[in-house]
Amino acid sequence: MNIYLENVIKEYEGKRIVHIDELHIKNGALYGFVGPNGAGKSTLIKMIAGLEPLNSGNIYYGHKPKSNPPFEIMTLVFQKPYLLRTTVEKNILYPLRLRGWTEKAMEERVTELLKDMGLSEFRNQKSWKLSGGETQKVALARAMSFRPKLLLLDEPTANIDPSTIAIIEKMLRKANQEEKTTVIIITHNLQQAKRLCSDLVFMHRGNAVEHGDVEKVLNHPTHSLTQRFIEGELIVD
Amino acid sequence: MGEIILGIEEAFLLLISFNKEIYGIILLSLYVSLASTFFSTIIAVPIGTALGMRNFKGKGILIRLIYTFMSLPPVIAGLFVFLVIMRKGPLGHLRLSFTPTAMILAQICIVVPIIVGLTYNGVKEKGNTIRDLGKTLGANNRQTLFLLIYEMRIIILAAVIAGFGRAVSEVGAVMIVGGNIKGHTRVMTTYIAMLQNMGDYSKAIAVGIVLLALSFLINGILFNLQQR
Ligand SMILES: Nc1ncnc2c1ncn2[C@@H]1O[C@H](COP(=O)(O)OP(=O)(O)OP(=O)(O)O)[C@@H](O)[C@H]1O
Ligand SMILES: [Mg+2]
Repeated sequence: MNIYLENVIKEYEGKRIVHIDELHIKNGALYGFVGPNGAGKSTLIKMIAGLEPLNSGNIYYGHKPKSNPPFEIMTLVFQKPYLLRTTVEKNILYPLRLRGWTEKAMEERVTELLKDMGLSEFRNQKSWKLSGGETQKVALARAMSFRPKLLLLDEPTANIDPSTIAIIEKMLRKANQEEKTTVIIITHNLQQAKRLCSDLVFMHRGNAVEHGDVEKVLNHPTHSLTQRFIEGELIVD
Repeated sequence: MGEIILGIEEAFLLLISFNKEIYGIILLSLYVSLASTFFSTIIAVPIGTALGMRNFKGKGILIRLIYTFMSLPPVIAGLFVFLVIMRKGPLGHLRLSFTPTAMILAQICIVVPIIVGLTYNGVKEKGNTIRDLGKTLGANNRQTLFLLIYEMRIIILAAVIAGFGRAVSEVGAVMIVGGNIKGHTRVMTTYIAMLQNMGDYSKAIAVGIVLLALSFLINGILFNLQQR
């Protein structure tokens, strides 16, 4: 899904948190949003997800000028995902039930996702008994279940072990390549961005300071802030 | 001590005697408390949910009032309902004085604030998370509301348990609006108070034990539901 941001401004208590003049998220790309703590990444992704109202500006989804967030075909995985107080299976089924899938189609989809995620043995496990990494994978499976056109992820691999990170990255790649899902992932791990993403947006104090091809941004940053961030100097804003 | 042992013995005898009067009293107690809890739940859960989700002017004061009413003395609720339904009161023409319906009304006044307050607290804590989750998964407003209530089921049941506990144990309100009329509005708590007054301690203890046992049973059922 193409997304166009135009003069997007978000303020909290009079303080400007996000200010993006212009940004085009290309259909079918896999974006990494990076930047120091407090740069406004989470706020921006929530605005794209339609959860936070803008103070001014516009976000267009698909083709301009249609601008209502298309909730049926996009989703966001929070950094600390909330699972419903029920089994793993029912969590993953929930978006499919909302969309009126047949029992057979749901059964197939859940089985496939659980297998891909390495979660098959947890199918009937209660969600509150899962570990952090398992919770993250279930949330991702639930988000991917209905094959969204836009998948937004807020630091999905923070505090996750390397083997689970590998699974999550594999799933994101798969969704991006096989389902043509546009993906935006917030990450603090530049190695991950390099492995996974096609495009990078570097944020600083609410601005999208730099964006473009991942190799280009990482190897030839045009902005000194980006340069310092990549060198590990600029960690906290 | 002797009275208590005698009471336990008598409780047992009372129950196996299938005494019509006793069973009538037990059933009426159950009917009044369950009905008031049921109607209170229907009234209070939507109010508590709305309060937890919405912001408006004067909300802070309203919440403090509700918290205060959570510990409303039953006699005051009884007095209030009594004044409303008495012959010359605004609802006097309905002739509700000294009926089980009046007792249910009085208990609703006591139980509603409890369930509203506890539901509000739970929704305040989880409501926004669940609203956002519903949106991200594609639920419409109605579906998100159902999702919220589903996720709140444990807290709501806890509120219902607290409300029922309060209803079944109170004596002040049912005494004032019901009047402890034999065979008509006599419930376990008013019966115990009367027996104590007449010096029939062992029987009072016997009814008390039955009341506790029933409370335990009903809470057990609700607790089981909660664990699902
Ligand atoms: N609801 C809010 N009210 C007031 N300020 C907020 C609110 N939400 C976020 N902020 C502020 O907005 C700024 C950006 O926050 P945001 O969470 O978007 O940063 P971030 O880039 O995701 O940082 P991190 O890498 O630490 O997750 C922060 O300074 C934060 O304190
Ligand atoms: Mg963040």
